[in-house]
Amino acid sequence: MNEESKKKINEKYERTLLKGERFWPDSIFKDVIMSFGIFLLLILLATFLGVHDSPKADPSDTSYVPRPEWYFLFLFKFLALYGQIPVLGKIEFIATIIIPGIAMGLLVLLPFLDKTPYRYYTKRIFPISIMSLLVVSMVTLTLMADIPTTAGEGIYIPGITQVIAGLIVPSAAFIILTLMNFVFKTTSTKVMIWTTVVSAVLMITFTGATLALAPVTEKTEAAVASTLEERIVAGQDLYSVHCVECHGEDGKVTTIEGVEGLEGKAVMAINGKDVLYTLNDATMAEVIAYGRPDAGMNPFGKAYNPEGLAKGEIDYIVTFMRYMWDDRFERPVIKPLFPALAAGEVPSYDVHIAPIVKRYCVSCHRPGKDSNAYLMDTYENITTSGDNAPSIKAGDANSPLLQVIQGTPIPDPDNPGQNLVGVMPPKSTLKADVIDAWMRWVMAGMPRTAEEAAALSTTPTP
Amino acid sequence: MQSTLWQKIYAWLDERLGLDNMYTGLLDRPEPLGNWWNTLGSASLFLFLLQGATGIFLTVYYTPSPDHAYDSIQYIMNDVAFGWLVRGIHHWGASFMVMVVFIHMLRVFITGSYKYPRELTWLIGVGLLLMTLGMGFTGYLLPWHQMAYWATTVATQIAGSVPFLGEFILKALRGGPDLSALTLQRFFAAHIWMLPAALAALIGAHLYLIIKHGESAYPDKED
Repeated sequence: MNEESKKKINEKYERTLLKGERFWPDSIFKDVIMSFGIFLLLILLATFLGVHDSPKADPSDTSYVPRPEWYFLFLFKFLALYGQIPVLGKIEFIATIIIPGIAMGLLVLLPFLDKTPYRYYTKRIFPISIMSLLVVSMVTLTLMADIPTTAGEGIYIPGITQVIAGLIVPSAAFIILTLMNFVFKTTSTKVMIWTTVVSAVLMITFTGATLALAPVTEKTEAAVASTLEERIVAGQDLYSVHCVECHGEDGKVTTIEGVEGLEGKAVMAINGKDVLYTLNDATMAEVIAYGRPDAGMNPFGKAYNPEGLAKGEIDYIVTFMRYMWDDRFERPVIKPLFPALAAGEVPSYDVHIAPIVKRYCVSCHRPGKDSNAYLMDTYENITTSGDNAPSIKAGDANSPLLQVIQGTPIPDPDNPGQNLVGVMPPKSTLKADVIDAWMRWVMAGMPRTAEEAAALSTTPTP
Repeated sequence: MQSTLWQKIYAWLDERLGLDNMYTGLLDRPEPLGNWWNTLGSASLFLFLLQGATGIFLTVYYTPSPDHAYDSIQYIMNDVAFGWLVRGIHHWGASFMVMVVFIHMLRVFITGSYKYPRELTWLIGVGLLLMTLGMGFTGYLLPWHQMAYWATTVATQIAGSVPFLGEFILKALRGGPDLSALTLQRFFAAHIWMLPAALAALIGAHLYLIIKHGESAYPDKED
């Protein structure tokens, strides 16, 4: 830029200043309102949306699908789509380094590449077009970020529309605009604007199509227990499923009974001071994760056990053990397993039976355990599965399940003197209120949801 | 004329600090007519200060070690008085800062304000954008939860795909071949010391240049 145009720019700026405003108080007034508005918005977001929590980091859980902060999602998606290109897609660093590097380089060098003194929009159609399309790409790629790029075999239409919206249209538009600007220098402003608008509309349309066609993906983020009480209950539930078989409900078992492969093994009572006073939390978590091969303790960490526990889950179990059994810790008030039933109230699967089953039954009655194929992990399985199905019949007080939980084994008709099903649970008895909940539930017809149960409830006549 | 005590104090301070000069030099400056788009730069500065203030409070309880990082944040969220608010503001403030800085950059681009005499202001601004993204990237790992851990694993792998230098960059970022306590420690150091120091220095330069050249005017058909 020559001295003359510099002088012109500076003189023009001096003239604009004369009809301008003052920094204090005119500009600062707007600045303060803007900042204060943002501050209020942040407080509202922090109060009403809070921070989305994820479980504790677990280096052994390699199945976790990573997801960056939202403002990096567009890059993430770009990489995924780029990987779909044949041949070129295999050269990863083009997409990870070269293309972002060129983009950053252009941004840094912008004032030195564009040395014309023109500032008005119509005189700068090319850079503004390119930047607009970049912004549209970033937005559309971010919107498509959660949709899987491929779906195994066969034709996957959302995959094709994604590549069109995220790669083909923008690249074509960038090339066409560049050619118009540098090769056919006479291209009119109108043609360039139309090219930009049409490309942007195409990108948005194909993104919309992708979002409309893509299968809804379920989000399976594990629940995060945050308060101490939630952590203890989460630990108790996990303990009930994974540990009760050997260690017993209260952890005082010293000789394992009735567990295949570990029958008669002597173990330490894990509810006693020998364990709780001598091991700190980290060591306890390690014993659960890595096991104690010599002492019969199986490893439960995800790295060693296909159906194992995540790091955070193991921490919940340790918290549960501490607060339930260690007399140095004060046990907080914990909500009962299910809300107490009033006279005439009918329990539901969701509110009452599911937590009971999780606490007392699922430890053995789940896939991979020897339990006469009676699985109790879902409503359907509880009502229909098993070698001796059905174990419960709606309205039948003599259902086999109700008999065995009340201490009456079912005799085997083929082998007199033998039991087909023993009493359940095998080594303890259920509390009266739990049996009562089961009885009421079966007699009322086994309602699944709280609403169904409420419809069946009766108010006792006074 | 009898001057009050406050006037005496002001006169004494003004003699030594040059308050009147500061007023004319910094506050009572002429500016071209602006609109709400012109508030985004100062909004970025406000967010930087807010992130600094909330971040300093968070370091009181936060522990940068794999064993305690997650639990210390649970503690901040559940047990510290207003800890949830401070962390909530810091969390959302980060997203806002990236967005506001980006939109600010777009505004400068669209109005062509990066041209003579403000080329250096733009250059420093691009540096500020990169630093802000760096803050987002390093801060994301600190809660040490699953999302953070695996996102950082992948992001550092991507940095490792640079030809020839990749291996070195990967190890420098992670402090070893894998994500470990060292990674968390150096991300923490970058997040609370290195990047904020660099950001503050660049912001100072950016502000100096803005005051020196004045805010740019919106272009008209002659420009």
